Amino acid sequence: MITAVLVVLLLAAITFGYRLLRGPTIADRVVAADGLLVVGVAAIATNAVRTGDGSFVPVAVVTTLVGFVSTSVVARYIEGRS
Amino acid sequence: MIAEIVMLVGALLILLAAVGVVRFNDTLARMHAQTKATVTGVVLVLTGAASEVTNAHHVSMLLLATGLQVLTAPVSGYLLSRSVYRSRDIHARVDVVDELSSPAED
Repeated sequence: MITAVLVVLLLAAITFGYRLLRGPTIADRVVAADGLLVVGVAAIATNAVRTGDGSFVPVAVVTTLVGFVSTSVVARYIEGRS
Repeated sequence: MIAEIVMLVGALLILLAAVGVVRFNDTLARMHAQTKATVTGVVLVLTGAASEVTNAHHVSMLLLATGLQVLTAPVSGYLLSRSVYRSRDIHARVDVVDELSSPAED
């Protein structure tokens, strides 16, 4: 069951990565990159359950904050450019 | 067992968000798919993981990540959508009333 969760997350990461590479505008790439970070957070939590070793769980918190700050900064950049 | 089913449902929601991001043909429509479904999915995955993990520190860390995700995702989504609207990178549909035209200009 846990392996199925990881496989579904891998499929989601591949799908987000397609939009990250193709996205016509910067905002599309930011949306895809934010989704990839969320997939990373979910994968860290799932792996902690799978192995029973939660050493990487604080990385999920940091990844959440990095996703928020990076999205906000790129939004400011897009707005200031026009 | 129930926690693993909850985590699987959350992962499927994240996959649904990814499919929406690829299939929709407008930046704002893609954000519509990504912000809502992604937050719901990651909340389900993290709470399911928090009920499976035994260490109290890791449980509190997972719940903290859940709360931060719920708090920060609407803010960043709002900032990004406002900048997309202002940079005029969206389709101008003729059958739609632009309700943002006056308030979002300031």
